[in-house]
Amino acid sequence: MKLFWKTGEPYVLATGAALAIILVMSLTLVGTVMTNGLGYFWPRALVQFELKDGSRALGQVTQREKNPISGSGRIQLKVGNRDVFGQDFRWIDENDIVSRSTPADAVLLERSEHGNYFGMLRGVTAEGMSLSAGSPYEKLQQARRLVAGKLDDTRTIKKQMSNLNTTVERLRLKLQKLEYVGKEKNSAEIVELIAVREKTMAEFSSLNEKATATQAEIGRVTAQFSDVAGGSKDISLPEIVTLQRPNSMSFFAKCGAYLERVRELLLDDPRESNTEGGLFPAIFGTVMMVLLMSVFSLPFGVVAAIYLREYARDGLMTRMVRIAVNNLAGVPSIVYGVFGLGFFVYGIGGGIDNLFFPERLPTPTFGTGGILWSSLTLALLTVPVVIVATEESLASIPKGIREGSLALGATKFQTLTKILLPMATPGIMTGLILSMARAAGEVAPLMIVGVVKLAPTLPFDSIYPYFHMDRKFMHLGFHIYDVGFQSPNVEAAKPMVFVTTMLLLAIVIIASSAAIYLRNRMRSKYTTSTF
Amino acid sequence: MAKLFIDKSRRNDRLAELLIRIGGILVIASVVWILVMISRVALPLFYPASARIAATFRLPASIAAGKVLAVGSEESQKGAFILDESGTFHFLKVIDGSLSASIKVPTVPPGAVRVVSAEYVGTSAYNLLWDTGAITSVTVALASVKDAEGTISLTHEVSAQEDLSFAASAGIVQSFARPIEGKGAVRIDRLAGDRLRVNHQLVEKDLLGNEKRSNTGSEITDPLPGRISAVAVDSKGHYLYIGTDTGWLQRWDVSEPGLIRLLDSVPASEEHKAITALTLVLGDVSVAVGDAGGSLTTWFPVKVAGSGEDRRLTQIHTLRPTIGPVSRIIPSPRDKTLFSGGADEIHVDHMTSERNLLTITPVAPVTHAALSPKGNTLSALDSNGALTIWKMEIPHPEISFGTLFGKVWYEGYDRPEYAWQSSAANDDFEPKLSLVPLVFGTIKATLFAMLFAVPLALLAALYTSQFMSPKLKGRVKPVVEIMAAIPSVVIGFLAGLWLAPLIDKSVLTVFLSIVIVPLMLLFTIFFWKRIKTASLLQKVTRGHEFIAMIPVVILGIYLAFLLSGLAEVHLFAGDFKQWLFSTLGVRYDQRNSIIIAIALGFAVIPIIFTIAEDAISNVPRNLTAASLALGASRWQTAWRVVLPSALPGVFSAVMIGFGRAIGETMIVLMATGNTPIMSWSLFNGLRSLSANIAVEIPEAPLDSSLYRVLFLSAVLLFIFTFIINTGAEAMRQRFRKKYGRY
Amino acid sequence: MAQTQDQSGNDHILTVSNLNLHYGEAQALKGINLDMARHQVTAFIGPSGCGKSTLLRCFNRMNDLVESARVDGSIRFNGDEVNESSTDVIALRRRIGMVFQQSNPFPKSIYENIVYGLRIAGVNDKATLDEAVERSLKSAAIWNEVKDRLNDSALGLSGGQAQRICIARAIAVNPEIILMDEPCSALDPISTLKIEELIEELKSKYTIVIVTHNMQQAARVSDVTAFFYLGELIEAGGTRKIFTNPEKKQTEDYITGRFG
Repeated sequence: MKLFWKTGEPYVLATGAALAIILVMSLTLVGTVMTNGLGYFWPRALVQFELKDGSRALGQVTQREKNPISGSGRIQLKVGNRDVFGQDFRWIDENDIVSRSTPADAVLLERSEHGNYFGMLRGVTAEGMSLSAGSPYEKLQQARRLVAGKLDDTRTIKKQMSNLNTTVERLRLKLQKLEYVGKEKNSAEIVELIAVREKTMAEFSSLNEKATATQAEIGRVTAQFSDVAGGSKDISLPEIVTLQRPNSMSFFAKCGAYLERVRELLLDDPRESNTEGGLFPAIFGTVMMVLLMSVFSLPFGVVAAIYLREYARDGLMTRMVRIAVNNLAGVPSIVYGVFGLGFFVYGIGGGIDNLFFPERLPTPTFGTGGILWSSLTLALLTVPVVIVATEESLASIPKGIREGSLALGATKFQTLTKILLPMATPGIMTGLILSMARAAGEVAPLMIVGVVKLAPTLPFDSIYPYFHMDRKFMHLGFHIYDVGFQSPNVEAAKPMVFVTTMLLLAIVIIASSAAIYLRNRMRSKYTTSTF
Repeated sequence: MAKLFIDKSRRNDRLAELLIRIGGILVIASVVWILVMISRVALPLFYPASARIAATFRLPASIAAGKVLAVGSEESQKGAFILDESGTFHFLKVIDGSLSASIKVPTVPPGAVRVVSAEYVGTSAYNLLWDTGAITSVTVALASVKDAEGTISLTHEVSAQEDLSFAASAGIVQSFARPIEGKGAVRIDRLAGDRLRVNHQLVEKDLLGNEKRSNTGSEITDPLPGRISAVAVDSKGHYLYIGTDTGWLQRWDVSEPGLIRLLDSVPASEEHKAITALTLVLGDVSVAVGDAGGSLTTWFPVKVAGSGEDRRLTQIHTLRPTIGPVSRIIPSPRDKTLFSGGADEIHVDHMTSERNLLTITPVAPVTHAALSPKGNTLSALDSNGALTIWKMEIPHPEISFGTLFGKVWYEGYDRPEYAWQSSAANDDFEPKLSLVPLVFGTIKATLFAMLFAVPLALLAALYTSQFMSPKLKGRVKPVVEIMAAIPSVVIGFLAGLWLAPLIDKSVLTVFLSIVIVPLMLLFTIFFWKRIKTASLLQKVTRGHEFIAMIPVVILGIYLAFLLSGLAEVHLFAGDFKQWLFSTLGVRYDQRNSIIIAIALGFAVIPIIFTIAEDAISNVPRNLTAASLALGASRWQTAWRVVLPSALPGVFSAVMIGFGRAIGETMIVLMATGNTPIMSWSLFNGLRSLSANIAVEIPEAPLDSSLYRVLFLSAVLLFIFTFIINTGAEAMRQRFRKKYGRY
Repeated sequence: MAQTQDQSGNDHILTVSNLNLHYGEAQALKGINLDMARHQVTAFIGPSGCGKSTLLRCFNRMNDLVESARVDGSIRFNGDEVNESSTDVIALRRRIGMVFQQSNPFPKSIYENIVYGLRIAGVNDKATLDEAVERSLKSAAIWNEVKDRLNDSALGLSGGQAQRICIARAIAVNPEIILMDEPCSALDPISTLKIEELIEELKSKYTIVIVTHNMQQAARVSDVTAFFYLGELIEAGGTRKIFTNPEKKQTEDYITGRFG
């Protein structure tokens, strides 16, 4: 035993414990995100409580905790019906509960506004629709299908309207430009443009009328519900996003509902100031920004690494470049944001506006945050990652390979393109993936140079010139910050934030695992290949 | 053909070499460029102010210089005007001093012939005191327009303000009139014989819309400590300031009709010099006092220690004195800048920063002076009858080294303090842009995080590189590396919305864990030998110890949680936070420094771990082998041989982690309350430089002082991290040179 | 390629005169004077660090890659000065091939390894390339071993095969001289024997300069041997003469194994 202490074994165990703590922390983080994120979409039972005071409560149990003093438990219930009760959650003391049940016909509505509604279906009013007889639930399902078709129609009309809107906006800018260059008010060009604009606007308003009429028509189809407190509510069908009876769903039906929610998450637009609905614009914005960033950072990073490893002589210059690279990697990301704002947005962007879009001033075109500036800023931020990875992979190529090529009369550039770069590709890929993972998770600089909580349009669409570099965009990381910390009802938004976090975490972990795998494989490949 | 090809590839080679070299140099350039660009934005903060004479000309002969009551000018230094005793505004073209128009005020009170004095009350409005003692109010609008040919013409308009007018009254020396919003108006008259009279003229409307006018007058009856030498009234007509020739400064509350109360009476200087000028600084909180000795000070009421809510006028700022008595003080309509005139010069000083911005020396003594509505143009009439217009560039008067890094006594504060508050609802607010609380917050967050992260990361790195089985190492290292890739927004979110409420429920768990987890470990270590031989744990042999430690750690934390519940009930009367507040007087914030230490620590652990682990692993194996061969245990080898050799690398790992922690933004932003307070308490939040930038910059107007100060803090962060990173890199390169060949 | 006859009339393909080389402050080659005859095998022997590899690398200017290296003196290749800044290094290296101590096949197929030198010179004609591959692999006596797997990666070959691929790669561009820098030091005895046989065959077509640590090898394969010691050329002459009757004491000591 004495020897055990003398040899220092306890200290070894202590160091092991430090590692254990780190690993426990990491696993807790990932575990918390996973459990909270994955569970969100599962249709949970609606439980009805009878309380001692005679009142009732219906909702989904979200958590249970023990009161440290009294020792009795209390339950947090998501009661929904924000518009009726004023809040989404309430705490119920377990001592107050007389009985609990799961009524089979309790319905869960996801609405386009005011969050979820929990209650009982009473009936359906569908003027001008012939619904076959059946239970109110079946009737409602039937009516929803009919309404869905009409909703699609209005969506098509809306799309046409937004196209017309774009045309009008473009005409307005054209007019503005003509006026700016000093064309007479009554010149043929302007008159013609104004005529086109009038026509488009007329078309727009006729479509608008049509849309309003259809909307009014389907708005008249309503369903009647009653909540647990005895209040009743008429909800028009277009307001209902999903309709479930979680207490009477089979396991497979629940799986189906789960998958449907995942689809919605990945492909739909957000609702209710981002706290419900999908993440599509955020995913799209993140991906596009990251790709655009790679276009800038990859060539620059690879060239810089080649310079350091293949061309620079070992001297003051190389040392300075290395220090520069390290500082690029170490300078806080927020400083890049500040630089991006001062240099890209106000400097270059402002310059572009003055040169090319003076007629639109003072409304900025490029002189405000946008996806181009965000990508450039992040490219600067991630270029060291590419440089370090590329350099490492170039360094791992044995010297003999270079000499072999040069001795055959190849130029340095030929050696580089024909031998070294192909060999370094896995390393460069590693760098690229790591830099993409970093960019996908970086938020602070983006908040300054172009990310917004809700972008009306995607930075890429079917309208010429397709890529809209000046547009602001949505981003998963910023979505987490914004919904989790800036939304009015944080408690209700939390599940959505967990889902977003899980998605972002998954993307980053998968990407960096791939990068690390590639790197390790490459390391082992070249260290043994010379024999 | 082949020859051609070779020539071509040779050309390509040279071109590529050139491009690649440029690429390399661009990397350095971009670092320098970043610093240059952000400094370039921050630098104008320290640019000196400047003034140049835009024009100077004699008044047209038709205007008698002796009868001038007020002067004024517009923003672009193209037009000026003169108000004379007849109540006529004469508009002048600055370019040649010619008369553009003369407009008499539209309303002249009955019987009045001559204007006795004109008080400028801001936003281009003047209160005119007529020889009958009647008061009218008038606004003057002057602007310059440029037509297509570039000829400048002036537009001018004089309009009466109907809501402010007082009937005739006798024996008045000086008069102030102020509107009371929605209720009427108040006039304060200085009468011959050092008397002061306050007159509230109120209008009440009953439910039927009938107006009822009432007039309440009262007079200061208390004896004054000297003869009145200067009087000032704030813009709401609530407070009256009196300066006497014996150097006393008094503050009177005149807000209640019929009730005048003396609030303060203090000597303005030890030598009791006569007060010669009194003016309220923009915002009506501070009063600027100029005396016969030429000193210029500002005062506002401050809570007196030990007297509850009582406030007393206190001298706050001392600005640069003038030669000879201060004859007038003109407050800037835009900020807390003061223009003070002595006999021969006009000083421009900023109150908060106490910076003397400019000294303007007119050719002859100035008789009348005024600022344009935006405060960038000064017009002055001198005793020779010449009108001079100065155009001033005062970029950032409120910023000085002192306001950025020193304690400043802000309006409404009881003592000089470091404070950050960049904006408020009102325009006349005094911005508080001290970087000290932010630097403090940054250091506090970094320090706590490092205290948490460094021991864990370094011990774990030592274990991983020295004691862990190589096969396992191949799996654990990537896990930690992936940890490094976790976006900070994820960590920040979990810290702010998951960990903070969790710890909020049971703060004691954290403290008990610090005690219990090591105790549990000690306990385990103590029985390790015995446990190890147990059949179930046979597998846990050398190189796998940490796996056995995982359940111990989890168990320890759980035990701490259980105990904390008990401790809270029995030791702290059921609520630790309440106990903390009532017994120690410490406020508990949900998002506090404990959260930040854990979250930020968690973020830097992988960085420190990875670099330190590399450094320790790079110590040549033959050193280890030599030590082991001499009979040293693996701990002795690691501690005495490996670690000392790897020390520079380990140190640089800590430095790089430190650099990361300093600049981390999202975690600090999300896991603290972002309150810029200076307290070392674990239970309070903080605001760091980086989070501050993220919070403030989206709302900072381009090129405003706030915008530039935020850029300045970015420069500070850059330089801070540059020094740390360069130091760490230099150390690492030396370390690599030493062992890199192995 | 214009062939220039040596002024003296002797058929010396390489003439080294008064060659000095410094690595920074340290002098690695001191006043070397040596001629090498066409179609002969010249062996450089000497203890480690005597400068023999350095001299070899001077012939095709591979020392350019070493930053601190500074060369003065003259090396004439077919009468043309090698050590001039105006010398076309690329063309020079195409005419003087090199085989390294450690085989360094590129991570490409065997075929692509062989044609690499041709491709970088702009030859892309399939027939020419095929012909060159077969010719050089046959010359390198490895055709039979690899002819069925020309498209396999060259990294999968054994050490001896890889080294012969490297020789074939050097031959493929038809150089006049092949420099071999201890080509067998990393090989087993059987592979070494094969390479030695190969050298014997190659000398009819090419001039070969070989650096070796192995004196038996030098004795077996070379026509002329040069002995270096501490950066100086101690003695050079017919292999038989050097090994049986060296003029200098140092040479004798080295050959008999008294030092080195």
